[in-house]
Amino acid sequence: MEAIANVMPEVIETKPAPTYINGSHALMKALLAEGVETIFGYPGGAIMPVYDALYDYQDQLNHILVRHEQGAGHAAEGYARVTGRAGVCLVTSGPGATNLVTAIADALIDSTPLVCIVGQVAKKLLGTDAFQEADVMGVTMPITKWNYQITDANEVPEIISKAFYIAQSGRPGPVLIDITKSAQLELMTKDFVYEKCQTLISYRPRLVPKQEQVEAAAQLINAAKRPYILVGHGVQIAKAEDELKAFAEKTGIPIATTLLGQSTIPTNHPLYVGWLGMHGNYGPNVMTDHADVIIAIGMRFDDRVTGDASKYIKQAKVVHIEIDPAEIDKIIRADVPVVGDAKAALNALLPLVKPNDHTVWRNEFRKYDAVENETITVPELTNTNGKIRMAEVIDMLSTKTKGESILVTDVGQHQMMASRYYQFRRPNSLVTSGGMGTMGFALPAAFGAQVGAPDRQVVAIIGDGCFQMTLQELGTIVQNKQPVKAIILNNNFLGMVRQWQQLFHERRYSFVELQNPDFITIAKGFGMAGQTCTERDNLSDALDTMLNHDGPFLLEVIVEKEENVFPMVPAGASVAQIRLK
Amino acid sequence: MTTYTICIFTENTIGLLNRITIIFTRRRINIESLTVSETERKGISRFTIVIKHESREEVEKLVRQIRKIVEVLAVFGYLNDEIVYNEIALFKISTSLGTKSLDVETINKQYKAWVVYWGLDYVVIEKTGNDTEIFEVFAYLKQYEILEFVRSGRVAVGKTEKGLVEYLPEAEWESYM
Repeated sequence: MEAIANVMPEVIETKPAPTYINGSHALMKALLAEGVETIFGYPGGAIMPVYDALYDYQDQLNHILVRHEQGAGHAAEGYARVTGRAGVCLVTSGPGATNLVTAIADALIDSTPLVCIVGQVAKKLLGTDAFQEADVMGVTMPITKWNYQITDANEVPEIISKAFYIAQSGRPGPVLIDITKSAQLELMTKDFVYEKCQTLISYRPRLVPKQEQVEAAAQLINAAKRPYILVGHGVQIAKAEDELKAFAEKTGIPIATTLLGQSTIPTNHPLYVGWLGMHGNYGPNVMTDHADVIIAIGMRFDDRVTGDASKYIKQAKVVHIEIDPAEIDKIIRADVPVVGDAKAALNALLPLVKPNDHTVWRNEFRKYDAVENETITVPELTNTNGKIRMAEVIDMLSTKTKGESILVTDVGQHQMMASRYYQFRRPNSLVTSGGMGTMGFALPAAFGAQVGAPDRQVVAIIGDGCFQMTLQELGTIVQNKQPVKAIILNNNFLGMVRQWQQLFHERRYSFVELQNPDFITIAKGFGMAGQTCTERDNLSDALDTMLNHDGPFLLEVIVEKEENVFPMVPAGASVAQIRLK
Repeated sequence: MTTYTICIFTENTIGLLNRITIIFTRRRINIESLTVSETERKGISRFTIVIKHESREEVEKLVRQIRKIVEVLAVFGYLNDEIVYNEIALFKISTSLGTKSLDVETINKQYKAWVVYWGLDYVVIEKTGNDTEIFEVFAYLKQYEILEFVRSGRVAVGKTEKGLVEYLPEAEWESYM
């Protein structure tokens, strides 16, 4: 015994056992490292370890419990659209994930950054048809910018940083991370180290366009007699509103926007001529056929903009400024492609373009404006007979809010009316489902937009059909005390479908009439204030009540039952065939 | 219809095959053959996909859409005369008693095909070449009893550095090789 005691050192140095964190805590730390403040989610079996970890991070990560996973997706979209940062969704496996699918597809087509974190069954159960197992990777592959399945806790930091980088860079889009329950529970075998992803070997979006492309574009623009700028969502994504204004003001070129491009430039700007597309303004559509140079910026020539693409802008040279090279020549051949971020491209172009007097050319638009005003706008706004018209509601809302609100619209006639009659004054003020045309988008997206922009007034314009697709999110709005104002333009019809049936299907109104519930009672059931307006004389007071109400408010306006949105480019027709009635 | 060979260089990740083929499926383009293997660089795979298409413009769009996939490093589209390409075919021919005896000399000299396996009552003949050459051998061997016939996808390398449509990463391609 004595011998042993002699060889023992006096002080025994011990190393503490490593205290590695599990995958769920790693996920929390990764989200914090990305600067995430808000998560829209819904718990369930296969994501429970993450929710358990979230319990410890409540003071740093604001989790919002929605009422349906689709609501989480659209709310995250609304949040992403107004903040420019990725919206984060957290849902469980199987039905939780598949419920998110509509929002993911919507985000992809409208270039909205989302990071969707989805629970998955344990690794050993993968492929066994386990409880709530769905092949979410397979399902979301065609509708995500990138997706990945985490099966090892050690992967969490690297994959989450990649997810945010991919979602938010280049042409933004949704990313889905499927994380197995085992990866959520198991301990990492190394220290948590987080490095923000800056670049990937195979993914390098080009921000600054090639100089020769910029020079070729400038040459074409300077020589143009009738140049025309078409602005898409890409300009707002690039936060290039000021650059666009400077470019247009220097060159004197008229600007039209796509649906999602609206609010990029104030509606009352002298160079703004209106919006393009199926229900866009008369002049901007017709004049695309008169331009000699089209400068398309951050837009993708959607079929709702081009009408029959084979007859679209055949006479014009096209400069296409676009960050996604796959969009170049996809629909319309570009004479000069400028691949890069809209802000960088406009900054590069600005010193090369020359001031030009395009007054005569710009005034040609005004002739069409006069026709549109006389035939459509004035009659819609000065109507004194019959029920309230949608146009009146939007016009009055626009006046009362001074065009300062963020307008979030659903999909259909009310969406087109909101776009026609709201006079946007500030950038980034229209949140709508453009490419996917997702009914049910507005209520959750308005909530998400309000969370993302707490200092701005958010007004949702919703149809009676759309409202019933996601109305349960009233509960989310009330629980989170967000002062969202929602207006239902109620015509007891699926209005846009009815319009098409009237115009193209001999008034055979096949399953478009709705027997609606009492929306205000429903709102009150959720604890939200509301009122119905049926008379024109009460509309102004009703809007004031809504706008002055401290907290969320639902205003139902009973509108003309069979009203049509004009102008209209019938599907498959050329833009020149735009109808005024 | 023109035959195009599309070579795609990708990171080697699970599910990528699916992501790539979805792009063809969505555009209703049929894949004639598909071959995947790791390249000379570890972790980088090369897909060789053969399609037939009437419109070169559509193929160019397809190439851009493929390049858009995050894990895709580069995509090249080639016409037949721009590549050196081959397939391998294996013919299993019955040699049991009573069947016509095999003329190995003709198979070797005329068709440049080789017997690569002698079974008890069959042989396996290998032919490397383009599809026309392979089907010439098939036509010749039909006089014997063909028990099995299998043909691989196309493998190809470009004759020139660049194909008719090319999409490279922003940085120099050489730095990845």
